[in-house]
Amino acid sequence: MNFELIFLNFPYVVSIILFSMGTLIVLTQPNLVKKVIGINIMETSIFLFFIAVGNAYGGIPPIYDPNYPQAFYVNPLPSVMMLTGIVVSFSVTAFALALIVKLYIYYGTISAPNFMKLK
Amino acid sequence: MDSISKLPFYCVIIPLIASFCMPVFARWKKEVCAPLATLATAAVFILTLIIGYHVSQGQVLSYAVSGWDPPWGIEMMVDSLSAIMMMLISGVSLFILIFSFAAIKYELERIVTGWYYTAFLLCLSGMVGLVVSNDIFNMYVLIEIAGISACALVASKGTRLSTEAALKYLLLATIGSGFILFGIGFIYMITGHLNVHYVAAELSVIKDQYPILIWTTLSFFVVGFGVKAALFPLHLWLPDAHSSAPSPSSAILSSLVVKVYIIAFVRVLLIAFGLEIFHETFIRHLIIVLAVMAMLGGSFFAFVQIELKRRLAYSTVAQVGYIFLGIGLGTPWGLAAGMLHILVHAFMKTCLFLCAGAIAYQTGRKQVNEFAGMGYLMPITMGAFTVAAFSMVGIPLFGGFISKYGLALGSLEADLPILILVIVLSGLLNATYYFPIVGQAYFSQDEHGSGDHDDSSGSKFKRDQIPLSMLIPIVFMALGIIYLGIFPGTILNFINQTIEILL
Repeated sequence: MNFELIFLNFPYVVSIILFSMGTLIVLTQPNLVKKVIGINIMETSIFLFFIAVGNAYGGIPPIYDPNYPQAFYVNPLPSVMMLTGIVVSFSVTAFALALIVKLYIYYGTISAPNFMKLK
Repeated sequence: MDSISKLPFYCVIIPLIASFCMPVFARWKKEVCAPLATLATAAVFILTLIIGYHVSQGQVLSYAVSGWDPPWGIEMMVDSLSAIMMMLISGVSLFILIFSFAAIKYELERIVTGWYYTAFLLCLSGMVGLVVSNDIFNMYVLIEIAGISACALVASKGTRLSTEAALKYLLLATIGSGFILFGIGFIYMITGHLNVHYVAAELSVIKDQYPILIWTTLSFFVVGFGVKAALFPLHLWLPDAHSSAPSPSSAILSSLVVKVYIIAFVRVLLIAFGLEIFHETFIRHLIIVLAVMAMLGGSFFAFVQIELKRRLAYSTVAQVGYIFLGIGLGTPWGLAAGMLHILVHAFMKTCLFLCAGAIAYQTGRKQVNEFAGMGYLMPITMGAFTVAAFSMVGIPLFGGFISKYGLALGSLEADLPILILVIVLSGLLNATYYFPIVGQAYFSQDEHGSGDHDDSSGSKFKRDQIPLSMLIPIVFMALGIIYLGIFPGTILNFINQTIEILL
């Protein structure tokens, strides 16, 4: 086991752990708001993963500076994509919370143990 | 020439703009919404017909959005597969919209009609975009647009069941798209590209360096698209969502929304990863196993349902299995039959769900054991229902037969003759849950309707008491099924153009 390699790539390890945690929370928690939190943890882990992919150690922001023509830039594309991802995640969260409010009006509770039951 | 390659872009942008106009018009005048939405969809349909004509001449349209060329910009590409799917999506949506005129007044509260059309057009725009997009991150965004607006279509009914189903759909679909996004991240990490063709070129060079990463990426994609397209063990959201939605929404969800994810999956699997990886990894065996489980399991579950729309929803699970089987076989006939089944199933399921909606509109019956005498009460609707049910079972002269026959030929080509047994068994199971409905409708007396002591019992044909705007889409869908069953040649040639590129 090469621990040094894992230590150098710890953003990836963290994102995988967070992703698994988020998925587990969505699937197992009976509380609906906690499910939404799980969704958010899951998507945030993906954002972290993308940012880690785009990062380069020692890179500078990708803006052209005539003083440093040979500069070493960070890849801006993953960050830009994750802005879109954040918007998507935000809208999913808003929609899910709106539906939960409506379910609360119907049931009087946000805890749904039988919610994922197969019918 | 140049203006034609811009048409796919307009196909995405017209419904998008129209959808955002809908809430404004709904505030001003509710009656304007439905014709305007139909106009936008009809415009898209005409544009797709023009695109289809040009693509059938062997042309491949490619458009770089806002002038940024492919390696970094977003590319829209229309090959024959996307062209036929665009025509299918916009055409079927048009008929469903026409059906919605009357059905929406009956099924939805008046206040949400404007929002219903917003979600509908947004979903249409997402689906068309997903089919033409050639950039995987753009695909993700359009998957989310189609997915969230599909959830809104389910939730629009506003009942307790549909809200619960919509939330379940939203949570599971978000897990699915999370998996897809993670897969896209892996692809970007390995290749540094997002355009499907550049990914394919890069992957074919470096695939031996990262065997485990490619396995991981593929499994992420299978889970993600599996959840989205309701592949059997991951279908949990589908029956609730499709059965509790208003019937035009169920029709669009079941016949189109599920399918566009399959198209995107085919694009990622066969073009981006390429055939070598498809055959070297055991991904196609996994897909075949899951598809067989879906074909049998979905049919078994459908058999035990007593609510008509739930039965139809589980039937969709089984039919998605057929399509995945075609992809998993990976032979020319198998793939062509899978793609044909997307078309045929879109017609059949739309027809069945619209019939279910029409029957509930006229008689209020929703259970499968209340169909006695329905063939006399609503002869045209039940006739279309019968056509679709026969096609679902796979009886010759109807569209479903051609695709099942093609799948059987495909499994012979792939040296897996045991699959023919599965196809036949699944067809028989389909028969066990569709024929009792049809049989009841024609061969048994109606205890409900004849209670009013009219001149004679229910054994006399009456005209359907539903508006013409509901009847026309149903009849056209039934005619489409028969057309596909008798003259499949044109469509198959069109599909084969794509298969030659894919395989």
